Amino acid sequence: MNRRDHGFQLLSSGQEAVAVGVCAALSKHDQLLTSGRSIGPALARGLTPASVMAELLGKVAGPNRGRAGRGHMALPSAGFFGAHAVVGGNLTIAAGVALAFHLERRPAVVVCLFGDGACGSGALHETLNLAALWHLPLLFVCDNNRISVSTPSEKALAPSPLSELAKPFGLPAITVDGMDVLAVRQAATELVAGARAGKGAGFLECLSERFSSHSTSTLESRAKEDVAALRSRCPIAALKQTLVVRGDLDEYGLSALEAEVRSAVKYAVNFADASDFPDPEEALFDVL
Amino acid sequence: MIYALTVPTGIEDVEDVRVLEWAKQIGDEFGKGDLLVELETHKALVEIRAGRPAVLRKILCGAGSWQAVGKPLAILSDDTTESLPDSAFDLPGLAVDFEVS
Amino acid sequence: MSFETKSKAERIFFREAIARAVSEEMIRDDRLVLIGQDVGAFGGSYKEFVGLFDRFGPSRVRDTPVAEASMVGLGVGLAAAGMRAIVSVTYMDFLMLGLDPLVNYAAKARFKTAGQITAPLVVKTTSGARGQGVAHSQCIEAWLMAVPGLRVVSPSNPADAYGLMKSAIRSDGPVLYIDHKRLFPIAGELSDQSDAVPIGVAKTSRHGQHVTITAHSYMVRVALEAAERLAATGISSEVIDLRSLSPLDIDAIVKSVARTGALVTLEEGQLTCGIGAEIAYQVRERIDGVRIARVGAKAAPVSSNPILESACLPDAVRLLESVKDVLNTR
Repeated sequence: MNRRDHGFQLLSSGQEAVAVGVCAALSKHDQLLTSGRSIGPALARGLTPASVMAELLGKVAGPNRGRAGRGHMALPSAGFFGAHAVVGGNLTIAAGVALAFHLERRPAVVVCLFGDGACGSGALHETLNLAALWHLPLLFVCDNNRISVSTPSEKALAPSPLSELAKPFGLPAITVDGMDVLAVRQAATELVAGARAGKGAGFLECLSERFSSHSTSTLESRAKEDVAALRSRCPIAALKQTLVVRGDLDEYGLSALEAEVRSAVKYAVNFADASDFPDPEEALFDVL
Repeated sequence: MIYALTVPTGIEDVEDVRVLEWAKQIGDEFGKGDLLVELETHKALVEIRAGRPAVLRKILCGAGSWQAVGKPLAILSDDTTESLPDSAFDLPGLAVDFEVS
Repeated sequence: MSFETKSKAERIFFREAIARAVSEEMIRDDRLVLIGQDVGAFGGSYKEFVGLFDRFGPSRVRDTPVAEASMVGLGVGLAAAGMRAIVSVTYMDFLMLGLDPLVNYAAKARFKTAGQITAPLVVKTTSGARGQGVAHSQCIEAWLMAVPGLRVVSPSNPADAYGLMKSAIRSDGPVLYIDHKRLFPIAGELSDQSDAVPIGVAKTSRHGQHVTITAHSYMVRVALEAAERLAATGISSEVIDLRSLSPLDIDAIVKSVARTGALVTLEEGQLTCGIGAEIAYQVRERIDGVRIARVGAKAAPVSSNPILESACLPDAVRLLESVKDVLNTR
């Protein structure tokens, strides 16, 4: 979608398997917090494309009346505690939510999704420490697309793989292929089960690829041909292939799915376009 | 001689104290080093011990009451026969040791 | 025949007022959790939480590592998830480490999610200079007054410490509760009828006719001392204890200044973009022809060296000189 009114967006293209694989491991009682790269995760968590599109375009039909946008979208009733656009800013919040679940003895888990960009932050260290110390039901998911705006992760981060960050705290830590949704789901399921059973926190690193530049307003820093080559690793195409080879999906099934997707996207865009913008006076609502 | 037991001024950073408990009763004789009273400051307990023997004659601030630093808590004398003045004002202070915990 | 029970007043330490308020609220609402450094068995850095650990246990009264960003974040997350939290940040200087979750998340939560998420928490912190050096002495409440979505309160005595803490805990959004190191040695009366003190309401600590002095926190005591000395020279001062910095009770200030015609604002923080600057401008917007002066700290870091510290901080003498200047130019 290339419209002039689409705003400042961070796309999840290439990183869909991480969002979908992690969400497939969650129950409706669990809560997902994300970074500013929230569109894929929000959809994977079950927010409708129409409501997400409305929120992205700043319309009142969005879950936050268009005020949050991609950077802060939230719908806790759907298990989507929400995005926070400060890199690493949702980590300590996630720990607080997990502590609440722990104190209330809820059999629910909190997942915090963040990128490699957050792995240099003190907030991650502090949160890992608390999660380990207090056995919080918190799953750290690092969607490592190996680049933070223009900085490759090997130039920003000393540990490798990033799952090593959790090891000093004694937390179970796994690194998986983030382009393989089934692998992500399996690893996430294992760590979520552990957290739910009271075994405490875990760390899942998913190695993914960012198919576009950091944002719709950011220039691409990588070589054009390298970026183009990434598309051959498309996680959606990979899953299609797997299902076809397994005999779980044939060409009719595939066409039906693709038609469904096109239709949902069309509906979402029309819905959002037809929805109203907020009145300017809403700028002062709900402040205190 | 008649003395006043006053709230020690040497305790760091204190304005008012609360009297917690008197360790002696009126008429009791005490010796040097005996615990007289426990005070509470905003952050610590203070044990006031006698710096010399004397007799406790009158308690001015009972348990639970408050007094400011430097002001009198009780009147004491060397022996029980000395008659007491009306106020503790201008009485020499009894030497004390105190321990903050 | 009416039965009037005479309310009994009890003298207590400033720290006891805080402990009492928190204890009562923890009984009233079992979702309330206290977290911070040394809040558990130690009873709080200023002994302001004594008794809570024994009464409510380690789950609800939790010691944290020295990590203000995650301490505040924890409190915000707890509150956003439906519990209530008090986060104790020992020194206001360290609040800066926790400003991201407080300002970027908590203060914006209700607005940004259109009410889907709110963060009713209290961040309690202690300001002020008392011989502890440049990074343990600051009064930066003016910075936080400007954050939309954040309430800021500051008691000057045990009764208000109690009442404002109760109100802060019961608020439906984030509240920054700021006390002062120099308040802890003081004792004050708390009646058994005492209850929550509303946020956004100032109090007149001393009535007067010639000048209005606004102050908050420890500076209220400095203002009262100056007022006493000024009275001996025939100047009658009205002292307003702000109690709330955000929302600010500008109506109470304006009402007073409309009568006195002169205003001197007092704060221990910096004058630049300070509380006095805000009050002065808001008063000028509403009343013409008022003489105004501001008294605050000198524009320098505050050393632990007592000579240097004293040279920087406002005191009763500086305040009364300022009052005299303001009145002499009438």
